[in-house]
Amino acid sequence: MEWLKLSGVLIVVIGLALRLRTTLVVLVAAFVTGLVAGLPLLTILNLLGKAFADNRLMTLFLLTLPAIGLAERHGLQQQAAALIRRISAATVGRLLLVYQLLRILIGALGIRLNGHPSFVRPLVYPMAAGVSASSQTETIKAATAASENYGNFYGQNLSVVQAGVLLVYGVMKGLGYDISLWRLVAWTSPIVIASVVLAAVQFAWLDHRLKLESQQ
Amino acid sequence: MNALDAVYILTGAVLFSFAVLTWRDVSNRQRKTSALFWFVLAVIFALGSVMPHWLTGLLVVALVAIDGLNKVGKGESSTSPPAASIGAKIFLPVLAIPLVTIAVALAFRLSGQDANRGALVGLGFGGLAAMLLCVRLTRSKFITLLDEGRRLNETMGAVNILPQLLASLGVIFAAAKVGDLIAAGIQSVIAPESLFLLVLANCAGMALFTMVMGNSFAAFPVLAAGVLVPLLIKPFNADPAMAAIITLTAGASGTLLTPMAANFNIVPAALLNLKDQYGVIRFQWPYAVAMWSLHVLLLWLFIKIQ
Repeated sequence: MEWLKLSGVLIVVIGLALRLRTTLVVLVAAFVTGLVAGLPLLTILNLLGKAFADNRLMTLFLLTLPAIGLAERHGLQQQAAALIRRISAATVGRLLLVYQLLRILIGALGIRLNGHPSFVRPLVYPMAAGVSASSQTETIKAATAASENYGNFYGQNLSVVQAGVLLVYGVMKGLGYDISLWRLVAWTSPIVIASVVLAAVQFAWLDHRLKLESQQ
Repeated sequence: MNALDAVYILTGAVLFSFAVLTWRDVSNRQRKTSALFWFVLAVIFALGSVMPHWLTGLLVVALVAIDGLNKVGKGESSTSPPAASIGAKIFLPVLAIPLVTIAVALAFRLSGQDANRGALVGLGFGGLAAMLLCVRLTRSKFITLLDEGRRLNETMGAVNILPQLLASLGVIFAAAKVGDLIAAGIQSVIAPESLFLLVLANCAGMALFTMVMGNSFAAFPVLAAGVLVPLLIKPFNADPAMAAIITLTAGASGTLLTPMAANFNIVPAALLNLKDQYGVIRFQWPYAVAMWSLHVLLLWLFIKIQ
């Protein structure tokens, strides 16, 4: 009956795939796993409470919200938008690569941001569409959305205060490895460099296709 | 009391102010239950180091119950008109956060203390410095500052506690020895000395779990306990920081490929009026596959040459 212990993993996978409320799925999985493994309820509550308190560090970003919120009210987004508008790029591919680099910088500064509604839709896509005379607007749209994801996913690990790095730190500590936050950031840099190089290749290929099409 | 506990108490105080402001926000149809949610989180932050753990555990159950009943809501957004811009100076408070974080971490290191702890304490003081600087530069009231924080906090909502909850799930998995079970399952298929195949299983597991769950943060605790630590880090003496962070971003390839990560792949397609709702994923797949292969290669290489 050892395998029953995997029911928690199964609950997480199925629950999240069914789009059930994430917090509820995770908590139910924790209790089911503990009970199936024969842990007393009080032990599970103790483990849960200690782990949650030990990992408060993952949620310290709450302290940055008032300043960022007030700065937004006084034109933070507009100033960032002005910065993006100053990018002058000859091709769609180069524009998207510069935006990806900017997005990596934002992540490395420890700022959390969902760039699709705030930058991609209102700014980067219109600029990309303006640079290109191509009729392949669908491809350009998809590429613009992708440049945000590429910059966001890999760039955020360059900051010691971002959720991903803190999650790795907390989980590894729970498994008995007290690793350095700074080493996590150091080891993520080859990945970030690779993410930029591969994106440069893909965006150059995009430029090439757009150019071929405009010559026809 | 150490410096980190002071930062936790400060966070608790900020959360308490969010709770009060939410309680008073009549545009929020769930203002009372929402306020209760942020109040309970404030208590956990302020008293988490001194409360008995079972009580913290019960409070976590209460948090999830409120969210599970769909009782954490937000008020109407822009109640106040945008204020006068102060130009590029508005970047200063935002930049103060990383600068103070790094400065405090360096100060901790130079005085022979833990630089990790320094970074966390620094984040707390960075947030505080940014608040004071922002209020001063924009000549706003302190209550406006807190209310803007409440607004951002409500936009993110109860998902804010997810990383903490996932890490706790990892701890319960570890106590139940779920990791050993997964490791045994993989070992019955792959020989324990075949490093490349184990790296492959680790990265493939991470990407697949992420695709199904739509969330690499949820996949990481399972993979770390079941594959990464027992099959790669322990037997091959791999650098845990290197192996862990590369495993996390191996999951990012999964995120780029799955419609389950709707806010990254499906919502943008809708925002941009793409005809094909999977258009973003279609563009991303060659990149995701290339990045994933590179993760396998780098992880294998870094363990091999160390």
